[in-house]
Amino acid sequence: MSAPIVSVENVVRTYRLGKSEVQALRGVSLEIHPGEFLAVAGPSGSGKTTLLNLVGCVDTPTSGVVRVDGRDTSALSERALTDLRLRRIGFIFQSFNLVAVLSVFQNVEFPLLLQGEATRKEREQRVLALLDAVGLREHARHRPSELSGGQRQRVAVARALVGRPRLVLADEPTANLDSTTGATIIDLMRDLNRRDGTTFLFSTHDQKVMSHAHAVVRIADGQLQARETLNPAA
Amino acid sequence: MLPATGKVKVLLRIALRNLAAGRARTAIIGTILLVGTLLVVVGSSLVESVDRGMRSSIQGSLGGQLQVYDARSKDELALYGGMGREPLLEPIVDFSRVKAELEKVPNVKRVIPMGIDQALVATGNQIDVALERLRADVRRLEAGEDDPELRRRYQAHQAHVRRMVTLLRDDLRSARALADDELLRERKRDGDDLARAASDDFWAGFERDRLAGLEFLENRIAPQGMEGGMTYVRYVGTDLDAFMEAFDRAHVVEGERVPSGHRGILLGKWYAEEYLKIKNARRLDKIKDARDFQRRRIANDEELRRWVKENTNQLSEIQMQLDPLQAEEAAARLRRGLGSEERDLSRLLVALFSTTDADFEKKYRLFYDELAPLLQLYKIRIGDTITIKAPSRSGYYSSVNVKVYGFVEFRGLEKSRLAGVMSLLDLMTWRDLYGYLTKEKAEEVRALRDQVGARQVPRESAEADLFGGGGPAVETQRAGRIDEAALLAGIARPARTQDLAAQTYSQEEIDRGVALNAALILRDPSRIGATIQDVERASRRAGLGLKVVDWQKASGLVGQSVTMFRIVLYTAVLIIFAVALVIINNAMVMATLQRVREIGTMRAIGAQRRFVTAMLLVETAAVSLLFGLLGAVLGAAALWAVRAWGGIPATNDQLYFFFSGPALLPALGTTGVAVSLGLVLVVSMLSGFYPAIIAMKVTPVEAMAADD
Repeated sequence: MSAPIVSVENVVRTYRLGKSEVQALRGVSLEIHPGEFLAVAGPSGSGKTTLLNLVGCVDTPTSGVVRVDGRDTSALSERALTDLRLRRIGFIFQSFNLVAVLSVFQNVEFPLLLQGEATRKEREQRVLALLDAVGLREHARHRPSELSGGQRQRVAVARALVGRPRLVLADEPTANLDSTTGATIIDLMRDLNRRDGTTFLFSTHDQKVMSHAHAVVRIADGQLQARETLNPAA
Repeated sequence: MLPATGKVKVLLRIALRNLAAGRARTAIIGTILLVGTLLVVVGSSLVESVDRGMRSSIQGSLGGQLQVYDARSKDELALYGGMGREPLLEPIVDFSRVKAELEKVPNVKRVIPMGIDQALVATGNQIDVALERLRADVRRLEAGEDDPELRRRYQAHQAHVRRMVTLLRDDLRSARALADDELLRERKRDGDDLARAASDDFWAGFERDRLAGLEFLENRIAPQGMEGGMTYVRYVGTDLDAFMEAFDRAHVVEGERVPSGHRGILLGKWYAEEYLKIKNARRLDKIKDARDFQRRRIANDEELRRWVKENTNQLSEIQMQLDPLQAEEAAARLRRGLGSEERDLSRLLVALFSTTDADFEKKYRLFYDELAPLLQLYKIRIGDTITIKAPSRSGYYSSVNVKVYGFVEFRGLEKSRLAGVMSLLDLMTWRDLYGYLTKEKAEEVRALRDQVGARQVPRESAEADLFGGGGPAVETQRAGRIDEAALLAGIARPARTQDLAAQTYSQEEIDRGVALNAALILRDPSRIGATIQDVERASRRAGLGLKVVDWQKASGLVGQSVTMFRIVLYTAVLIIFAVALVIINNAMVMATLQRVREIGTMRAIGAQRRFVTAMLLVETAAVSLLFGLLGAVLGAAALWAVRAWGGIPATNDQLYFFFSGPALLPALGTTGVAVSLGLVLVVSMLSGFYPAIIAMKVTPVEAMAADD
C-alpha cells in the first residue's frame, strides 16, 4: 500500500471551556490512504468535527502527531498551514459557505486565484469542466442565492476539487439537505472519487449516507472504534 | 504576473460587490465622505481664493510684500488700524538711511516711507459758501458797479442766506424742545442772533450797511452752521510719486496727481463718496448698487425702502445749497424731467426721490444729469484747500492747510472701506501734522535738549531714573518745556500756508526725515520668507533696529481673518472626518462581524490573513475613494457653477476687500483636492484598520460552524 496522505498518531485534543478542560479527542490514531472514500460517524459531540479540523490543518493537536502529505502540522507556521490547505486539501461545509457576492463560476474559481498559478484560460477550462461534472454549467453566472441547497452544495464540491487537492474534507455535507438530495451529493462525491482518485473524508451521523462510503470509522467520546470496510475501493 | 492580477481583481470584485450589497451602509458612509471632501474642496478653494484676493488687495494697495518699522514700537504695525485706534509706533527718525540700506538687499525693489494716522478735517460750511457769494456781490456794489444782472444775483444770494438763517433758527427751535436748561442757557445768545438775522429789520438795515451786516453774519451766524462740518480722515503720509509707482492699483480718478515735490492730498474716492458726498446722492448710488450688483429690489427690501424714505425726508442739504435762482432752475428742470406741473421745489424733490423699481433708473439719471450740475456734490471740492487738525506726538494739536488735488482709488477695491477710506498725503505735510519735522529739526530738538541737560529716559528704567536714581525730576520737566517750544515752532508753520503750497521739495528732503514704517516692494514677490531674513540682516548690520513683517502680519486683524477662516474651516473638516472615521469604523466592524463565516471559509480554503485584511481595507478604500472623488468632482463642479454665475458677490465693503473686487471667483485649489483625497485615504485606512484586525483574527474553524 502507498504512503498514507494523512496519518494521525495518538492524538489528544483538549479545549478549555471556562475553568474546566474538555477532552475532545483522547488518543486517536488513523491513517488515510490515497483514493479512499472514508466516513467518520458518530453522534454529535463525539469529536468528529475536531478530528476533521485536525486533518484539515485548521487546528493542531494538543499532543500526538498529525501528518498531512507527510508534514507534521504542529511544526508548521500559520502561513504554511494555510498554504497546505490551499494546495492539498479541499473543503466542503455543512452550510455550503459560498461567497454570496460572487457568481457560481467565480466561487469555483476562487481557490485557483488564491493559488495564483493558473492562467485565465486554464482557470476557465478547469472551472467549466468541474461545473460540467457537477451538472451546473448553465448556472455559471448565477449567484448562490439563486440556487437550491443541493445546487449550492454541488458548487461547493466543485470549489473543493478545483485546486486538485489530494484530500477533500466534508463536515456533515448532507446535514442541511433533504435525504434524497443528500444522497445525490454523496453519489457525486463518490463518482469524482472514482473518476479522479481524489481521497474523501467526510463526517456524518446519517446511517444512509454512511452506507455509501467505502469504509466507516466510528467515533464516540473522543475515541475511535474499529474501522469497518463496507464497499471495497473501486 | 497574470495570476497575481487575478487575485487583485477578485479582491476588488468582492469589495465592490459587498459595497453594492450593503447599499444602506454604503450610502451612509458615502454621504459623509462626500460631504467631507466637498467641504474641503470648496472650503479650501474659497479660503485660498480669499487669501489670494487679500494678498493682492493688501500688497497692491498699501502693504507691499514686507513692512519695516522701529523694533522698539509699543504696538504692532496695523496698516488697516488696530483695536479702535492707530497703533503707536516709534518713529524712524531718518528714513533716508533705511531706504539706502534696504535698497541694497538684492530682492528689494523699492522702499516706500509711510506714516498712517487719522485726523479731523473741516469739510466746509454751506453758509460760508453762500456768504462768500454774497460778499462778492456786495464788494462789487460797494465799488460802485450796478447793473440789473448783478442786482438780480445779489437779491438771490441775499434770499439764499436769509433762508439758511431761517432753516438754522427752525433747527434750533426744534432742538430746544428737547434740550435741558443748561443747553438752553448756552444757546440763548445763538438763538437771539438767529432771531435777529431772520428779522425783516435786520435785512432792511443790511441795505444801509452791507459790510456790517456781512460781518455779523460771518461772525455770529456762520459758526452755527459748523455743526457736522468736521469729519475724520485717515491718511498715509508718503512719498507720493514713489507710492503711485509702487502701488499700481492706486490711480487718480478725478483731479490730478500732486505735482512732484509739492505738498498736497489725494482723498480716498470711497471716503469722499461716503463722508463728503451729499447724502441723498450717496443713497441713490447705494440703491443703484444694491439693484445692479446684489439684485435687490426696492419693493421687497427693507433697507432700500428706508433709503428711499430718508431721501424724501432729508432735503435740506440740497435746498440749503440752492440760492433762489438756482432753485428756480432746478424746479424747472425737475418739472421737465418728471413731466409735472408742480411749482414747489420741495414737492418736486420729494417726487424725484420717491423712487420705485420701475422708475429708479430714470430718476437716477434725472438727478445726475439735471440736478447734480447745480449742486456741489462733495463737501470738499478738488482744488479746495482743507485744514487738517491732528494731535501731534506730545498731545498738541497741529493743524495744516493742504490742497486737495484729486480723488484716489485702488483698482479692484473701489467699494472697499478698508482700502478706500485711505487718503494719500505728502510726506512733508504729514511730518508737520505728526509733530516732527525733518531730520535736521529732530536733531535740533535733540541738541536743544542736550544743551539744557535733559536726557532721554528709557522706558524700562524710567521709574528708577526719575524717582530713585540720580536724575532729578526737574530735568524732565525742563525737557518737557523745551519739547513744547520746538513743537510750537512747528505749529507756527501753517500760518505761512501760501508759501508752503508753492514750495517744492527735493527727493533728498523728502527722504531725510521721519517716517513711521516703510513698505518694501520685492522684485520676486514669491520669496517673502527668505527676503525677510535678508532685510533683518541688513537692518542689524546697519544698526537700524527695524522689525520686519510680511504683508499679512502688517495688516493686523484684517490679515489674520484669512487665518481665522482657515482655522474655522479646518476645525469643521476635522470634526466631519472624525465623525466619518467613527461611523465608517463602526459600519465596517458590523459588516465584518456579519461576514465572519465567509471570512473563515476563505481562510479555510487557503486565503492568507493578509488576503482577508486586504479585502477589508480595499473595501473601505474603495468606498472612500469613490465618494471622495465624487465629492471632489461635485466640489469642482460647484466652484465652476459659482464662477459661471459670476462668482460670489461682495455684498458689503469688507467682502469687497477680501475678494479684491466686486465678486469672488473661486478657483479650484489643487491643495484642496490633494488634501481632501489625502484625508479620505487616511480616514479610510484608519477606519478600516480595526475591522481588518477583526478579520485577521477570524480562524478557519469559524467556517465549520453550523447555521444558527
